[in-house]
Amino acid sequence: MAQRPKLSVCVPFYNEEQSIEPLHAAVVEALEPLGVPFEMVFVDDGSRDNTLAIAAQLAQRDPRVRVVKFRRNYGQTAAMAAGIEAARGDVIVTMDGDLQNDPRDIGAFLELIDQGYDIVVGWRHDRQDKLVSRKIPSRIANRLIAKVTGVPIRDNGCSLKAYRATLIKRIPLYSEMHRFIPAVAWIAGPRIAEIKVRHHARKFGTSKYGLSRVYKVLLDLMVIKTVASFASRPMLWFTMLSLPMLVLSAAALTYTASAILVKQHLSLPIAGSGLVFFTSALLLVCAGAVAELIYRLGDLREVEFSALTQNVQVRRASAALRKMS
Amino acid sequence: MSDRSLDAPELSVIIPVGARHADLEELYADYRRGLALTGKSFEMVFVLDGALPKENAALEQLSARGEPVSIVRLTRRFGESTALMAGFQSTQARVILTLPAYQQIEASEIGKLVRAVEGSADLAISHRWPRAGSAWERFRRRIFHRLIARATGQPYRDLGCAARCMRRRVLEELALYGDQHRFLPVLAYRQGFRVVEIDVRQSARDRFDGGYRPREYVHRALDIFTVFFLTRFTKKPLRFFGMVGAVTLGLGLLLNLWLAVEKLALGHALADRPALLLGSLLMVLGMQVFALGLLGELIIFTHAREIKDYQVEEIIEFSGDDAKQDGSRKEDDARLPRRPSPYLG
Repeated sequence: MAQRPKLSVCVPFYNEEQSIEPLHAAVVEALEPLGVPFEMVFVDDGSRDNTLAIAAQLAQRDPRVRVVKFRRNYGQTAAMAAGIEAARGDVIVTMDGDLQNDPRDIGAFLELIDQGYDIVVGWRHDRQDKLVSRKIPSRIANRLIAKVTGVPIRDNGCSLKAYRATLIKRIPLYSEMHRFIPAVAWIAGPRIAEIKVRHHARKFGTSKYGLSRVYKVLLDLMVIKTVASFASRPMLWFTMLSLPMLVLSAAALTYTASAILVKQHLSLPIAGSGLVFFTSALLLVCAGAVAELIYRLGDLREVEFSALTQNVQVRRASAALRKMS
Repeated sequence: MSDRSLDAPELSVIIPVGARHADLEELYADYRRGLALTGKSFEMVFVLDGALPKENAALEQLSARGEPVSIVRLTRRFGESTALMAGFQSTQARVILTLPAYQQIEASEIGKLVRAVEGSADLAISHRWPRAGSAWERFRRRIFHRLIARATGQPYRDLGCAARCMRRRVLEELALYGDQHRFLPVLAYRQGFRVVEIDVRQSARDRFDGGYRPREYVHRALDIFTVFFLTRFTKKPLRFFGMVGAVTLGLGLLLNLWLAVEKLALGHALADRPALLLGSLLMVLGMQVFALGLLGELIIFTHAREIKDYQVEEIIEFSGDDAKQDGSRKEDDARLPRRPSPYLG
């Protein structure tokens, strides 16, 4: 086996038989002058055309190419996740398989990672797509994502991104999350940089996305935001959720109790809804306890996330300690 | 490869014997004829689901006559899924055939299923066609399968037929339990296997005696429910439950707000208004549903690295001088020598 690559380029392919060879050539041409040992991980997302055969041929000609073959089509997030998992480099660059990203930009990404950034995101400032069906919805979605996550990225949809491998390999990727990995990665508090990249019009094949994805992105985003904010302190979160109910029920029940004391006419709706709210609040607190249990048994704890990006400054004498961090 | 797998048969047949079954000797003879047509060596594993002394005796006789019959005896009735998995433990072949304990399909059609699996399919399920039955039965079946297709996005036409043929991998990766055997194709497809449905002739004996009892309808409705949750909930719980919860909560809030406005502005008394209870209950329900979704999402989130929603078939890489394409191919028969079954004496 050759030396371990420093850089892994992950490219998911779905029915891109015409793009794959030019892409391979372009990546090689762009990266060889950099003098960095690199590998390419091609993920075949269950293509129905010759994509896999061509990729397999490339792998036989070029030892730097590895091809991950999916059993069937699982979608881009899964392809990205598989590529990232199979990657062996310290830095992982993801890009689209449709030649719309330019591998010549990768050098700049690497430089920024070397400067200490954990994630570098491409920004297609001069985007070559249709205005109404692609650019405008994506702009709206990006604004929303930035607003919700507080990560000011202008172009979440650009696949050309670079990650420190230790970070990205620990971030859970599922559902349709590949579109905003930086937003998900936010739970680990990474240093994020954004740079302008070139963007080319599609040469071969057809685009695989439509307008419908914006709605999905927003839903996913809300899910992530909720889960990320609540994952590490579920008990607190659930208690907060039950708080308004507790207040309501306390008011209603106090009122009922005082009515009983002064032997007034009892109001059934107030007593009833007081009891109902109280029960519900209790159930929510119980759910919080269960959530606490799940979190403890799970394998994604906040300490680990913080460890991914932390800076540790230690006294000189304890060099051994530094290694551990 | 061990010696044991060298003389392993080409086909392993699993027959779970539950409450409904035909005369086993006759059934065996029938299936045997069908299997002979495929020209393959086979073994037949009967799983007795519960204490069935008479059937046991019949099978032991077959076995004593030198027929390739294994018997797995379960101590109580565990259900068909568990019976299948228990039988699977003591099979050896790379191709597994599951057959019902009563004639559903013409035994001569078994070859069709086997051929499909020898082709590109991982799982071949049968569709009894042409099919006997009254107009009402046909209608009921149509509705059932239409609903299943709605929930899963996969159009199956005969999930009730237990005659299926599959590669060994399929059962290895899917640990069935409960009523899941019915939805083997749904689960297998989700796991990334290629599933095909094959038209086979229905056995003349497979006719339905008497109408379905109400209990059956409840079961089928539960089936649909199960499939729906298997496919929807297990992937994006919060997306589904969050929506339902938010809508319910919103309705309850609106209702209560309206009541409050009426009380404060128009002076309608809140007491003796059932709408208040309805509003409160809706709010409570919405919150609980949302909380459930949150719990589900948390489970998925914290286990995202174990629950992969994709399956890698192989990783192709540069394999040195004698460039062989399948250098790193993971063959499914690498795992062939199986641990001895805990059920076989």
